[in-house]
Amino acid sequence: MSAPGLTGSAGTTGPAARALRLVPVALTAVVLLGVWQAAVTLFDVPAFIMPTPVRIAAAFGHDVGTIMSASLSTAKPVLLGLVMGSLGGICVALAVSRFPRLSGPVLNAAVLINCAPIVALAPIFNNWFGVTSLLSKAGVAAVMVFFPVFVNTTRGLLQIEPLHLEIMESLAARPRQVSLLLRLPNALPFLFNALKLGTTLAVIGVIVSEYFGGSTEALGVYIAYQAALPRFDYAWAGILVSGALGLGLFGAVTLLERFLMPWHESFHEESA
Amino acid sequence: MAEPAIISVRKVNKVFNGGSDRAVTALEDIDLTIGRGEFISLLGPSGCGKSTLLRVMADLTAPTSGTLTVNGKAPGAARADRDYGMVFQQAGLFEWRSVLRNVELPLQVAGAKKEVYRAKAEEMLELVRLREFAGHYPWQLSGGMQQRVAIARALSADPEILFMDEPLGALDEMNRERLQGELLRIWGDVRTTVVFVTHSISEAVFLSSRVVVMSARPGRVAACIDVDLPYPRTAATRTTPEFFEKVKDVRRALHEAPSERAAA
Repeated sequence: MSAPGLTGSAGTTGPAARALRLVPVALTAVVLLGVWQAAVTLFDVPAFIMPTPVRIAAAFGHDVGTIMSASLSTAKPVLLGLVMGSLGGICVALAVSRFPRLSGPVLNAAVLINCAPIVALAPIFNNWFGVTSLLSKAGVAAVMVFFPVFVNTTRGLLQIEPLHLEIMESLAARPRQVSLLLRLPNALPFLFNALKLGTTLAVIGVIVSEYFGGSTEALGVYIAYQAALPRFDYAWAGILVSGALGLGLFGAVTLLERFLMPWHESFHEESA
Repeated sequence: MAEPAIISVRKVNKVFNGGSDRAVTALEDIDLTIGRGEFISLLGPSGCGKSTLLRVMADLTAPTSGTLTVNGKAPGAARADRDYGMVFQQAGLFEWRSVLRNVELPLQVAGAKKEVYRAKAEEMLELVRLREFAGHYPWQLSGGMQQRVAIARALSADPEILFMDEPLGALDEMNRERLQGELLRIWGDVRTTVVFVTHSISEAVFLSSRVVVMSARPGRVAACIDVDLPYPRTAATRTTPEFFEKVKDVRRALHEAPSERAAA
């Protein structure tokens, strides 16, 4: 009576092993930064084309207060937009999966809205909610997040193994039970894929819409201002911090995913 | 048959794509009475409609004509009352639920209280001897173990009838024989009526109190053969002359069954 996947030795799953898995990541980062620094110095690339990492770090250190308060005020609409867009996408997906006849028209409408570029959405939302309102920035992010969440979650809710449906039928399950016990858990992997896409989209959406007015204490404004001066080392520092913001959100979603779906096949290897 | 009937099938026909030129008669004039506590095998070549007959009894597909009662009711009412449990060829466990939570599913759907379905699921895992795997996820189990979980799940709401649609078909020979023994032991414990679909002659003979031999195109009942080998049957049963004799009888009935309707 063998149970594959149960026989992993403790050494491969402990926290020490986890830390060990970070070593290649850190090494890659160090090597990349080293190559960058060496290449810029060696080929004498002017700073406005590509500053060295050391210069960017110095610029960040010099302006750390401004950059951090700017990122904090950027992070708020990013988070709010991510939450609003995800909830909206999930709700509409639930409605569509319950009434599949809606799916065609709703999908078309979603595509239409998703095609509206940020340059159009940002001024429109500024107009609607007020240029300084958190909602006008978060709204842009929400629209961008909504689309992948809606499309993927709908798929996950509808793409059910026929055998699973038949089992629920043999158990005389009511439609609500089929939704709750089968469709929703089945959609979770699809939802998390979409959320991962959504994190980067939300960051992009907010940063770009910050160009269109609002508080000047914002990453998008900071990057645009420094690039115009031109102080590209400072602009790059802002760019890297916005990247870190996206990475942090991505990591948070991944953690949540592990917590909510420890059963998923993408995590099998680790416990093996 | 001394026992009262639990399932009765009268003149049941099932035609797929009826009315079109691709119409296929899956079942023709099926008459079958199954007594309470029997272990019945539906045996036949692929395409003989044995799975379709099972699905008609389980109300997963409707007959084209004819009547049947399951546990004294229309099949739909029997399904709504959860009078039967069902095991398919694939275990079909929900991969996001632990073994224990998979077994809890039928009673949870039936609206039982949590402490009730938890206790019952633990009891069922005890029955299939997988208690220590309660917290595992399906992917961590072998195919045979998954199928035992599926059996525990099917029995967890104390059904009167257990429908099994080639439940051991996906397993290798060794696992298959071991699980046949397990199944008889479980049946000895719970004493439900079992309707078991298979295309293996020896499996049908080893397990059943009666083998219903079906012929293909259209699916008909060709013969009913009582298997009077005493229970409990063990691995030793498989080597007795009586067992071989029964296997021979069933094989003869299978081969004498009209295989294809003579084409014009």
